[in-house]
Formats: sequence, structure tokens, C-alpha cells
Amino acid sequence: MSLRRLVAAALVPLALLASACGGAGGDGQSFDDNSLVIYSGRNKNLVGPLIDKLRTATGLDVQVRYGDSAELAAQILEEGADTRADVFFSQDAGALGALSKHQMLAPAPQELLDRVAARYRSSEGTWVGVSGRSRVIVYDPRTVVAPPKSVFELTDPKWKDKVGWSPTNASFQSFVTALRVVAGEDKARQWLEAMKANGAKSYPNNVEILNAVDDGKLQLGLINHYYWYEKVAENGPNGVPSRLAYLPGGDPGALVNVAGVGMLKGTEHGEAAKKAMDYLLGADAQKYFADTTKEYPLIAGVPTAPGLPPFDSLKGPEVDLSKLDSLEQTITMLQDVGLV
Amino acid sequence: MRLTVTDVTKAFGGTRVLRGASLTVEEGDLAAVLGPSGCGKTTLLRIVAGFESLDSGSVAIGEREVAGLPPERRKVGIVPQEAALFPHLSVARNVGFGLPRGSAERVEECLELVGLAGFGDRMPHQISGGQQQRVALARALAPHPGVVLLDEPFNALDRSLRVSVRDEVRAALKRAGATAVLVTHDQEEALSMADTVAVMREGRIVQEGTPASVYAAPCDLGVATFVGEAVVLAATSDHGVASCLLGDLPQRADGVAGKGRVALRPEQFVLRAPGEGVGGLVERVEFFGHDAAITVALEPGTVIRARTRGDVPHRPGDRVGVTVEGPVLFFPE
Amino acid sequence: MSVRRIPAGLLTPAAVTAALALLPVGYLVVRSAEGGLDAVARTLLRARTLELALRSLGLAAVVTVLCVAVGISLAWLVIRSDLPGRRVFGILAALPLAVPSYVAAYTWVAAVDLEGFAGSVLVLTLCSYPYVYLPVAAALSRMDPATEEVALSLGRGRAGVVLRQLRPSAAAGALLVAMYVLAEFGAVAIMRFDVFTTQIYTSYRAGFNRTPAAVLGLLLVLITLLIVVTESRSRGRASYAMRGNPARRPPVIRLRAGTRALALAWSTALAGLAVGFPLAGIGYWLLNGSSARVDLGELSGAVGATLGVAAAGALLTTALAVPVGIIAARYRGRTATFLEQSTYVGHSLPGIVMALSFVFFAVRYVPAVYQRSPLLVVAYAVLFMPAAVGAVRASVLQSPPVLEEVARSLGRTPLQTVRAVTLPLALPGVLAGAALVFLTAMKELPATLLLRPTGMETLATQLWAETGSGAYAAAAPYAALLMLLAAVPGFILGRRSLKETS
Ligand SMILES: Nc1ncnc2c1ncn2[C@@H]1O[C@H](COP(=O)(O)OP(=O)(O)OP(=O)(O)O)[C@@H](O)[C@H]1O
Ligand SMILES: [Fe+2]
Ligand SMILES: [Mg+2]
Repeated sequence: MSLRRLVAAALVPLALLASACGGAGGDGQSFDDNSLVIYSGRNKNLVGPLIDKLRTATGLDVQVRYGDSAELAAQILEEGADTRADVFFSQDAGALGALSKHQMLAPAPQELLDRVAARYRSSEGTWVGVSGRSRVIVYDPRTVVAPPKSVFELTDPKWKDKVGWSPTNASFQSFVTALRVVAGEDKARQWLEAMKANGAKSYPNNVEILNAVDDGKLQLGLINHYYWYEKVAENGPNGVPSRLAYLPGGDPGALVNVAGVGMLKGTEHGEAAKKAMDYLLGADAQKYFADTTKEYPLIAGVPTAPGLPPFDSLKGPEVDLSKLDSLEQTITMLQDVGLV
Repeated sequence: MRLTVTDVTKAFGGTRVLRGASLTVEEGDLAAVLGPSGCGKTTLLRIVAGFESLDSGSVAIGEREVAGLPPERRKVGIVPQEAALFPHLSVARNVGFGLPRGSAERVEECLELVGLAGFGDRMPHQISGGQQQRVALARALAPHPGVVLLDEPFNALDRSLRVSVRDEVRAALKRAGATAVLVTHDQEEALSMADTVAVMREGRIVQEGTPASVYAAPCDLGVATFVGEAVVLAATSDHGVASCLLGDLPQRADGVAGKGRVALRPEQFVLRAPGEGVGGLVERVEFFGHDAAITVALEPGTVIRARTRGDVPHRPGDRVGVTVEGPVLFFPE
Repeated sequence: MSVRRIPAGLLTPAAVTAALALLPVGYLVVRSAEGGLDAVARTLLRARTLELALRSLGLAAVVTVLCVAVGISLAWLVIRSDLPGRRVFGILAALPLAVPSYVAAYTWVAAVDLEGFAGSVLVLTLCSYPYVYLPVAAALSRMDPATEEVALSLGRGRAGVVLRQLRPSAAAGALLVAMYVLAEFGAVAIMRFDVFTTQIYTSYRAGFNRTPAAVLGLLLVLITLLIVVTESRSRGRASYAMRGNPARRPPVIRLRAGTRALALAWSTALAGLAVGFPLAGIGYWLLNGSSARVDLGELSGAVGATLGVAAAGALLTTALAVPVGIIAARYRGRTATFLEQSTYVGHSLPGIVMALSFVFFAVRYVPAVYQRSPLLVVAYAVLFMPAAVGAVRASVLQSPPVLEEVARSLGRTPLQTVRAVTLPLALPGVLAGAALVFLTAMKELPATLLLRPTGMETLATQLWAETGSGAYAAAAPYAALLMLLAAVPGFILGRRSLKETS
């Protein structure tokens, strides 16, 4: 290796930079300023086919950047006004709320907001839910005859070391927020502490909890309903021994979370972004959520997939899902209890 | 070119390694720097070559002061202890390393100079240790350096090879007309090879001269014992005569009268029949062929080692008489 | 060697490298400061912060010790004993590098009831012992048998001298392991063992609040620097002692029949657990799920993208590492120490922190490269610099400095000397370092997710996407291909560790 080449190589970043400034994209996947960029915190396998439909239906040139919702939100926050995202498609309301709080989201057209019940969209009108998912208790019917009917039963010594949860997971945290709203701060904290004392086991995410129940390592787990349906789709009904228990009305453990979309303030593709959001809130996409991802459609007139309890039977508590301040209080509480 | 080192000092951290070393090597001469391990020989060479900076003093090659120059601008050739040939380059490319491209002729000339014509295409691991050492010399000589520095270049070679490589190196240096400094702590090597010898001790050059003059007239007892073998005895000097247990011996030079020591060279002892001189008992006979070393315990209670011709009539246990021949070296206290 | 001035031709590129490596720290400082002293103090003083820091350190300590034990024992058996099939074991010993730790963790959790501390220790040790094995095997085969013979003749055991001589290489590997464990997130999360990085990820994922994450990141940088400085102090001058190639090969030591059987069992078990087991896990995914499908277009696209960015990453990392590595091997003093140690910073930070810092700087100052592969490649360089610098340093140290002095006296400038002597002699080691980076970059996930060009998928991001939706059977081909491709440089590294013997 000659020294000249060595120095040249050391300067590669600069050289590449210069060439990039020239505008020629050497990535094979050149960045097209004219396409609509969606940052998707939702999994490619789950929404990829939907995005394809969106492309066909709207004729939009769409590019999708997949990632973790919260990481993508952090990325957009770091990008600031220069963000490359036009639309943020988030797995949960919290990440949308964070962007909204930092004034990163533009107001969505009222007509779109109005398609969805008020509790499933931003009170400031900056984002709107596109699909609902219910918190459930997954249980192992081989060992559990009567699954609990409320999360408050989980502190019973009967379940000592038998329950799995995911304190770092956004949906779980929304659930704790609901718990605070329903039961009050003190009772919520007591519940968390009692659960911890009762040996609740922390998992990084819903999938791992579900697997642990199926493997007989747990008897109960607090998860979102659709993970179970995904697993049944992958492993077949016989490959998934666990069952779901939907909690009866009003229990914080029956909270309905949403995945939603918001449009970035700085977007130069406002019309395209609105078109995309309109598509996601249209009958086509809503039916896709119902049938393919086994989530709850949020607009009127699209039926829930067979086998799921009807949407209006899920009487989860009423909470503003995107109130970030409230989310921060939840996290402070989780930190105080020593769970995150 | 002439090498002039003047009053060089150098300390590593708190240790003062060179304490005002001065050395002059005339153009075309081969100087040996001789001294005990750790006295600063390597450091001195590294300063001349430019691998170390000096704290004070000066180094001149020819008329040019080089102390501030980087090694590549000093025109100093070096031959390190182990040949240190570039293992990834052929012999010819090693020799041509310091030459501009297309100097094949000079390369061949230098290889010839060290007696290795035709070895150019070999790789360093394909030649012997002695040959490697000669290639290293050819490499150092190739760019016509002002001075060639050799730091114990024969250490890695076994004894028999050492002597022959030594002669070849000397011959090559002379053919090239190079000014050279050879570092060694082998006094035999220094005395036999060099035009001048510089004795170094504790960071200083304490004596410079031809091998014969340094051997014959060492400046102090330390040099006397370091350069060549010597038996040291207590003595009192008066008017050019030193009295010791071997009798009253003439001094090489008149000096201060009083108490001191004499240094006797092994070849000054003469073994005679018992009764003559001082009596003693032969303890050991070492036979070297051309000569022999005989260890004798003198009756007054000292052991000496004498050098004699090879045809020794004595055996261990024989009684002998010992006398001293020629003037002796006296060093006052 | 004395404190000599570093020539500008080395210093300038090395300073560029150090600046790049320290970029994330700049970002962390900005984000920490933004939250105010209050927020900083609140984060630092939480009991959980200390608890998690201790957990991380404990995990790093245990894994490092185990890796050293496993790495040395395996290297000794492969290089110095008459273990049957030692050449095969030598290659197998490098292959765990090809296994993504999250894949290994997943298969372990799925197959056995093992989690928490013990599970994390097991998975991380199995995945990272090659970092110790490789340098130790190299050192063992270069070791001069004479010192051992002296020790034996003095009535001492062989082990003492051998271990003492292995210390620099084992320590260098141990350092990489320790930092790797400190920055690890995926495997420990799957093992349900909360550590310091969990806290950092949680801050981002749950809080949307970047100040605590930044403060914790800075703390992690500090901890790492502490470890790096301690290591370099303990390394002292020892590693600078030059060892040439000994004239003789160290003798092969005959094991007794019983020992031999045990050694064979040990080596087989290691290879089976570290390589065979994850492979079997992937096979299980494939057979057990129904999502199995291979979209050849997507697969080949991911392979192309993975190889492209990882190769570019390896090239750039090595190019940037060469000046720093040479300086680390050949120069002393504060500048040299600073340059070398600064390159460790990136490695100690979780990928997400690294990635966000590059988002931060790129969007603001070089928007043209943002979400383009050059930026991802630069991020790889920062993440994986220490392995490359270590490889360069070690291989430069192997050739005697006197060769460079000879070159200087023959009229070459310091830079010409680097080009004509230092680099050609160090080249095999430098290339091995590049292979190591190449392999590690192929598996990288968090930074790749955030920095890749929109629409580009690598094998790792595909694997993440498939497992994220529970489609393990669909994930299997990506996992298998990733391990297969990473096994190629792994194989080369393993074979090289044997070759030095001859
Ligand atoms: N770089 C250094 N740092 C500190 N001390 C040094 C350094 N180089 C040499 N020394 C010390 O300086 C003294 C002289 O060393 P030098 O190598 O010049 O001796 P020498 O006369 O060549 O010895 P030898 O005959 O054993 O080769 C020794 O005490 C040595 O330990
Ligand atoms: Fe989810
Ligand atoms: Mg020396």
C-alpha cells in the first residue's frame, strides 16, 4: 500500500462528501427529492404490503424508512427542521406526542381527524390514529384455569413469579398512564411496587413475553393482542398453546392503544402527505389492518376481523394517549419504582 | 570524511548517559569504540546517526555540523547488531535501498566489494548470517556515506565466522575508503581491526590512540585492565622504580613518587627454574597452540597469569621462579 | 525508544481519525448541557444509575475473565499441543465472530431456561472469546522457546513464563471484549438482564428525552476511558519490547491420554456451543415457522448492500487506523497516547448513541451525506476503530524498529520509511484487522438502522425486520447468510492464527 494511497484513503470521507455534494447519488438507491418519505416505526413485514397498495392507489412515489418508533422519533428530533421525513407512521401514540410537543408536526386536515373518535387522535390535531390494539393478558391454559379478570388481581401471591411484563415498552407505559388515570397516582404506584414484590419478570418486548408463556416459563403476560395473532399466523394454531384474556370494561388492562400518523411541519410534500394519510384512513387500508395485522380499524363501517371481540366491547379507560407530560410522569414513576 | 564529536551530553530522564563525550575519527580511518556494557556506546552512535537528540555538544561530519539534522540528511551509514536486512526485499534491493532508481551498477559494485557478487536475487533468509552482515555493510556503503557506524556487528555470529567476517568487513571498508566507527566491547576485536581505539567509560571517551599506544600506555589503571589483561599489584614508586612483591621494577615513565599500583602484562612474566626470581607453584596450564597461559600461585600469596610460547615445559604442580621483563606501568594512588 | 516528534504526515491523518472518533462525545456534551445541571445531576444521582453501572461493570469483568481463560486455553491447545484436529479447531475458534450476539441470545433463550446474568455471561463469552483467542494464538506461535527452556531449567513451570509473555496480547483482546460488553444491548436485553445500556436505550425509547441518555453516554465514555487507561498503564513498556521472529518454532507438547480426551471435549464443546448451537437454532426457525419464503431479489439486494457497506467500512476503518496504529507502536508521549486512546471512545458507546450523534452532525454540517452510505461507512469506522488500530499496532510492533532506522539513515524521510518499510512488513496483520472490521460491520444493526440510505436493507436490518414481526422462518435465510458471509473473513482470521506457526 503506498502512502499516497493511504492518505487518499484517510481522506475518503471528504472525497465522498465532495462527490455527494455534486449531487450524484452513489448508493444505488438514489435519494429522490420528489418522493414522499415515510419514517415507519411499524414493521416492514406488517405494513410493507400496505405501502405497496398505497403506492398503487395514490400513484405517489413513496420511500419508507423502517425503524423503531422511538428511535425514529429521536432521529427526527435530531434532524430538527431539516428532517427528511414527510410523514411519521408510529407504532404508538407516545412517539407522535413527543414530536408534537417539540412542534415538529403540522396540523392534520380536520376532515381526516374527524374520521376517528376523539380519544384516538391528538387533541391538538397534529396526528391521528390509524389502527387500534388492545392490551390483553396472555395466559397458559395448560396451567391457568381461570385467567384474571383485572390487572389488580395480578398482585395476588398466587401469581408470584408467574407474570411477565415489559416496562420499557411503549404500549406498557401507556397502560401505566391509564392505570394512573383510573386508579390515581398512589394506587398506581402501589400496584407497580406490589407487582415488583410479587416477582413480575421484565422482558424487552411483547414477543418475548408471548414466547415465554408458550414455552411454559410464564403463566401470564401483559401484551398487545395482535402479537398473538401474528404468532398464530407464523406457527399455526397448534404451534401457539397460549390464549388471550380480554379484560372487561374499564379495567386499565383493557386500554386500547393506537398506531398513528402525523405530517412533519417542514414537509415540502404536504399534499402528498395528506393523500397518504387519507389513504391510511380509508376503507382499503382499514380493512388491511383488520384482516392482515388483526388490529382494530378506527373508522366507521370497517368490520373487525372474525375471532376478535368487537371493538365497542373493549371498554378501556379514557386517556389522552399522546399527552407527553403525562407519559413523562409515568416514566418518572417507573424509574422511582426501579423498573426502568 | 572526518567525524568530530565534541563534548556531547545526553540524559534519559534522570540518568546521565553521556557526560561530555568527544571523539575524532580521521577520514578513511576505522575507529573502534571500546567500553564496558552500559557505558553509552550505542547511545553515542545513535546520536551521531541522528536517532537520538543530544542535550549539548556537537557532531560534525566533515565540515558540516549535523546535530540538528534528521537521520536522512546526515549521510551516515549504519550496520546494526543483527543484520536487519529488509526481509521483504531481495539482496539487491536491500543494497539499492539508499540509491536512486536504476543504480544497478552501483549495487553490483557494492556486492562485489563485500565479496557477494551474484547474490543480488536472493532473499535475505536465503543467505547465511555472515553473508547477511556483509550485505548490510554493502547497503550502508552504497550511497557513499560520510561515515559508517557499526554497532557490535558481529555479535550474532559464532566465533569462527566472526573472525573471517571481521576481516572481510575491514577489507571492504578499506577498499571503499570509508570513515568508520565500530562499537564493541570485545577488546581483541578492537585492537585487531581498528586504526584507532577510543576507550569509553561512564559516558566519556577516556583515551584515544592507536591500538598499540593505548595498550602500551593506558591513561589509567581502569584502561590498563580493560584494554588487555593485566596483573595489578600494590607498589611504591621512587625515582622511576616501582617496588612490589616481584621486586624493584623499572617504570615505563617517570612519575609521582609514593604509593600506588603497578600493572603487569601477562607477556612480561618470564618463568624460570625455581630459585630465580620469586618462587611459585604452577596451578594451571591453558594451551592455545600458538601460545599458552600459565597460572602461577606466587609464594608471597598472589596469583598471576603469564603468557608464554606454545611449547610449555611446565605442568601443574611444578615449582617455578618468576621474573618480570621490560618496564612496568605505575599508577599512583 | 525516545520521545520523538511525530511527523506531520502521520499526525494529520491520525488527528482526523481522533476527531472523528471523538465526534460522538461532542454530541453528548451538547445534549447533556441542554438539559441543565439539574437534569445532569438528577440522572447521575439516581440509585439505579449506580446499580446499573455496577451491573455492567460486573458483567464486563466476568465475561472478560472468562474470555481470557477460554481464549488462552484454546490458543494453547491449538498452537502448542498435539490436540487431534487442532487445525480445524483453530479455524472454528475464530468463527463465533460470525455469529450475531442477538441471534445467539435468542436461540439460547428459546432452547434452554437460561437468562439474566448467567445467560448474558454465557452468550457474550461464547460470542467474544475470539477477540482474545486471535491475538493470543498469534503471540503463542511467535514466542521464543528459549525463555520457556530457561524457566524449565530453573525448575520453574512453563506456565508462568508463557502467561507473562502472553500478557500484552491477552490484555489487548480483553480490552476489546470489555468494551464490547459495555456497549452491548441486544443480547442482554433478550437475556432480560438490565445493564447500563438498557438505561440509555430506555431513555430514548421511553422518555423521548435525550438529556439523560446523553449524560449516561458520557458516563459510559468515562468508564471506558478509565479501563483503557488502566490497561495501558498495566501494559506499560512490556508490549513495546520487540520480539523478532524466533529462529525456532516452539515445540509441540504431547498431552497425556486423559488430558487429551478432556482437551478434545473442551474444544469440541466450545465450537459446538458457540457456532453449532446458533446454527441449529436458525435451522429450527426455518423448520418450525410457516413464514419461510425467500425473495431472491430482496436477499441478493441485502447481500450486496451488506458486502458493500461493510467492505467500504473495513477499508476506511483500516485506512484511518494505520496512522494511529503506527503512532501507537512507534511513538511515546501524551500526543501518541491521546490519539490511540481517543479511538476507543466510539467502540464503547451503544450504536444508537453513535448513530444519533452522526445524525446530529451530518444534518447540520454535511447534509449532502446524510442518509447516504458514506455516512454509514464513517460511522462504522468510528465504531470499529479500536480493533483495527490494535491490529495495526500489534503488527507494526512485530517488526524491529531498527529496520526503520536503517531506512532513515539511507535517506528516507519518516513517511517514506512508513511506505517502504513499516507498512509492507505490517501488511498481513493490517489486512487481518480489516477482515475483523469487515466481519463486525456486517452484523451491525443499531447504527445501520438509523444511518442507512432510506430504502437500503442489509442482512442485519432484514433479520431485524423479520424477527420483529415474529417471522422467524423468514428471518432464517438472512441469519444463515449473514453467518455464512461473516464466516469467510472469520475463516481467514482463524487460518491465519495457525499459519503464523509455520
Ligand atoms: N532510551 C533510553 N532510555 C533510558 N535509558 C537508556 C535508553 N537508552 C539507553 N539507556 C541507558 O543508557 C545507558 C547506556 O546505554 P547504551 O545502550 O548506550 O550502552 P552500551 O554502551 O551500548 O552498552 P552495551 O555494550 O551493553 O550495548 C544504559 O544504562 C542504558 O540503560
Ligand atoms: Fe407493539
Ligand atoms: Mg550497545
